Amino acid sequence: MNTGIKKIPRVLTYLVLSFWALTTIYPFIWVLLNSFRKKGLILSDSFSIPLGDAFTWDNYITAWQRADFKNAYFNSFLISGTVTIFVVIIAGLAAYGLVRYRFRGRDFLYSLIMAGMMFPVFSTIIPVFRLEVMLGIAGTGNRWLSLLAVILPQIAGNLCFAIIILMGFIQSVPIDLEESAYLDGCNVFQIYFYIIIPAAKSSFATVAIFAFLWSYNDLFTQSFFLRYPQERAITGLLNEISSQAGVNYGLMASSVVLVVIPVLIVYICLQKHIIKGLTAGAVKG
Amino acid sequence: MNSMIYKNKKPLLVFLVPAFAFLIVFLYYPFFQNVVNTFMRIGGLGRAAQGLNTPWYENYRRLFTDPYMHTALQNTLLLTLCTIVFQVGIALILALLVDTIRVGAQFFRTVYFFPIVISATALGLMFNLIFLYKGGMVNQLLLSLGRLPYEVKPSGKVLVQWLDWKDQAHFLFTMFMPVMWQYVGFYFVILVTGLNNISPDLFEAAALDGADGWKRTRYITLPLLRNVLCTCLVLAITGALKVFDLPWVMFGAGMPENRGWLTGTYMYDQTFNRMNVDYGSTIAVLIVVLGVVLSNVANRVFRPSDDL
Amino acid sequence: MKKALALLLALIMVLSLGAVAWADGVTLNVVTSYGGDDGNRGNFEAAVKAYEASTGNKVNDGSATSNEEWKAKVLTDFETGSEPDVLFFFTNADAEPFISAGKVVSIEEIRAEYPDYATNMRDSMLAVASDGKQYAVPSYGYWENMFVNKTVLADCGIEVPGPDYTWDQFLADCETIKANGYTPIACSLVEVPHYWFEFLVMNNGTVANHLDIPAAADDAAGAKWVAALEDFKALYEAGYFPANTLTASDAETVEMFNQGEAAFLIDGSWKVGYFTENAADLNDFAISYVPAKGERKASEAIGGISMGYFITRKAWDDPAKREAAVEFVSQLTSDDVLSTFVTTEVTALINGAKPAGLNPLQQSAADANANITAIAGAVQDTITGEAKADLFGNIQNVVTGKMSATDAVAAAIALN
Repeated sequence: MNTGIKKIPRVLTYLVLSFWALTTIYPFIWVLLNSFRKKGLILSDSFSIPLGDAFTWDNYITAWQRADFKNAYFNSFLISGTVTIFVVIIAGLAAYGLVRYRFRGRDFLYSLIMAGMMFPVFSTIIPVFRLEVMLGIAGTGNRWLSLLAVILPQIAGNLCFAIIILMGFIQSVPIDLEESAYLDGCNVFQIYFYIIIPAAKSSFATVAIFAFLWSYNDLFTQSFFLRYPQERAITGLLNEISSQAGVNYGLMASSVVLVVIPVLIVYICLQKHIIKGLTAGAVKG
Repeated sequence: MNSMIYKNKKPLLVFLVPAFAFLIVFLYYPFFQNVVNTFMRIGGLGRAAQGLNTPWYENYRRLFTDPYMHTALQNTLLLTLCTIVFQVGIALILALLVDTIRVGAQFFRTVYFFPIVISATALGLMFNLIFLYKGGMVNQLLLSLGRLPYEVKPSGKVLVQWLDWKDQAHFLFTMFMPVMWQYVGFYFVILVTGLNNISPDLFEAAALDGADGWKRTRYITLPLLRNVLCTCLVLAITGALKVFDLPWVMFGAGMPENRGWLTGTYMYDQTFNRMNVDYGSTIAVLIVVLGVVLSNVANRVFRPSDDL
Repeated sequence: MKKALALLLALIMVLSLGAVAWADGVTLNVVTSYGGDDGNRGNFEAAVKAYEASTGNKVNDGSATSNEEWKAKVLTDFETGSEPDVLFFFTNADAEPFISAGKVVSIEEIRAEYPDYATNMRDSMLAVASDGKQYAVPSYGYWENMFVNKTVLADCGIEVPGPDYTWDQFLADCETIKANGYTPIACSLVEVPHYWFEFLVMNNGTVANHLDIPAAADDAAGAKWVAALEDFKALYEAGYFPANTLTASDAETVEMFNQGEAAFLIDGSWKVGYFTENAADLNDFAISYVPAKGERKASEAIGGISMGYFITRKAWDDPAKREAAVEFVSQLTSDDVLSTFVTTEVTALINGAKPAGLNPLQQSAADANANITAIAGAVQDTITGEAKADLFGNIQNVVTGKMSATDAVAAAIALN
């Protein structure tokens, strides 16, 4: 399964990879360590291991006491799960259509999508909020409607980058496969479901990971639409708990750990699909 | 490329309508409102417009004469360049290397993802402490290596001349490095996926032809990755133009001395801190226009001729 | 694919079920800034619980941390008609949009029906809106004054300044402190020059005319502001601010003071809570007085009340909610409840607050407050956010000589 660079000694490969791994693991450990550090010690001494007097569970206990975690995790997963499913389905269809069909206005649509990737959420949030209040979705005080109010703009916000990534991957699928399926009597939808999706399965998993992650971490949209305790999602909730003037760094560190762990689990689960695509031989001739 | 299958354009509607319906309602319509806002006078986010600006194009005039905007553009373009070279570059090298190994591949794939997951607030705090002026990690290290001058006061107090990593001589490094580092994992995951999509048959065929090692990378892997690399290029450009959270946590409002603005942080500052919503909207328009133009240029240059 | 569809269907079911199941009885939607890590969050929640227990009503608590994004959210709610029933919000210009739109009810109107509403407050301390009416029932306020690090001062052989502290003495002390290898003033000029600005303006004027807003850079009030900015420049050039004051965050400079590397810090009553939580020993610190120049006395400080409870028109016009909302505000602003919120802050209570048990720093603040002879509100709260951001954004340009003080004041006034 080697794609190249055979000449580079194994040792060097591992050396380079491990160096980068160190830089990426370190911050996580740093956050983890500081989540067990006594308040007030983080600014003065954040790089040592908290032992003895410096060690505390307080940050987790405080976080736990202040928030309804079960509810917040549930809301987060409901929001981000729904967003991910819709983004993958809708973006997959659009990317396929844009890659394979030649039609007038295609370049224009592509530019529109690229532009859509750049729209800052700060400048679209107020019109979206007004629209959703008009439609009776946002600002009703109803938990489920409020969650829907976050889901809808998040789907739209994640579509553009998903389409762009999927287009890149679908372009790499050799068209011969589709042609032979077509000769066998498949229509385009069958081709999409039986040829394209299996061939680009790992790409869909990748897009799903990012859609989930962006949605889960999207503090700004969450905090704008989810106001009341029962509708809070985990990221917003923990940010809220630990935010005041950036003073309580220990609480912030424990919040980060509590937020990050579920995402890592999702990533590790979905990552298996990326690998599966590999071992199955992504493109069956 | 334009196969028989895709001559009948009717199914296209099914493919495109759901996506564009969503985009029009929740993205393009709101952004259209944003464009309208650029011609208005608005006293703060969430407030109603007080009527047309005088003259109506005032914000655009200001955009081209605003020295901070000029700084922001310069910094952002430099950041874009660095993003393309370093972020995508490092990600490509790491992806190619991970692809050659079996043991530990899964581990590296997982840990490279960490920085994207951790919130910018936490990473910002960490980097702030790493580059802290008094007793930060880097400065402590420099001190223990004897690289920082110090004097001893008569009272016995040691006065160290710490290095200010956020001053005008160093801020570009201090600002760009964390941003670069954080998103390498993003491109890494995309490139790894692209590598996995390449059929192993091709490599077997290449091996039979005697192509191996670097040759194989150069003549098979990279050309087949071209589409995905182009995607990364577009993502890097658009990403750099709207980078916001990490620089904002570390450098706030244009530190040091208004040299440190980026288009993303400048827009946020205008919108939220200066309640200048209409001008903030104008910067947003500029970001979008720049992004579309630059991405199109990148595509023209790098994409295989037939494709987008 | 099938799995995804099944999930979708399940989701739609859950959504429709949720829409039906909604509680009955009076539920008040309340939005306050007592969210997050606010020091009084616990006291607020206890008061809400007590209210729920005594009335049988339910409170839907949408409290959050106050910042610019939160303000934008609240204002958007009023714009779109999804405002809460009771709101705890700023009483200054920030509240004007919904006051002038008639979205909140004045105290006068409420008293027509509930004569006892907010009668435990001093009328003179209630915020007056631009239409001359009072809308908000104040909770508690703030003071701004000078914190000193006693350890640093002792090391430099300087006494903790008293209420007769003069500017000349202060400059001499700064010089001594600097010579001893400490930073005299902990302040991030790039992030939070706000507190120093207030006192420097007052030092160039009086308590009485502190709230005058310049109409031009060369009128009387403008001259005060220009002189204040020039004082900033003088302190900066003398090297009394931290070496990295133009690149340091506020958190960094406050921590510097906490760690015993700087002697003076001007800050507000909320910082007492910060040191209570983060200081190794509270006895290292004291609340002193900001040195005085000209006609001002060092015993004159900044203080006031900037937030209060509003009842919205929406709740008032809802017969089911009117009484519940009035009762809520009355309970949360009663003498007993407010006494749990207040330690050393300003209140509008006629009888004053009776806090229980003060720590050393709170005691020091209470002692200092006892010597305060007059207070004025913060003048920066009476100008537009845009003008304020511009003025403070330009302070770094003034001290480095990139902009003249007069130009900076003129630019800010143009935005007011």
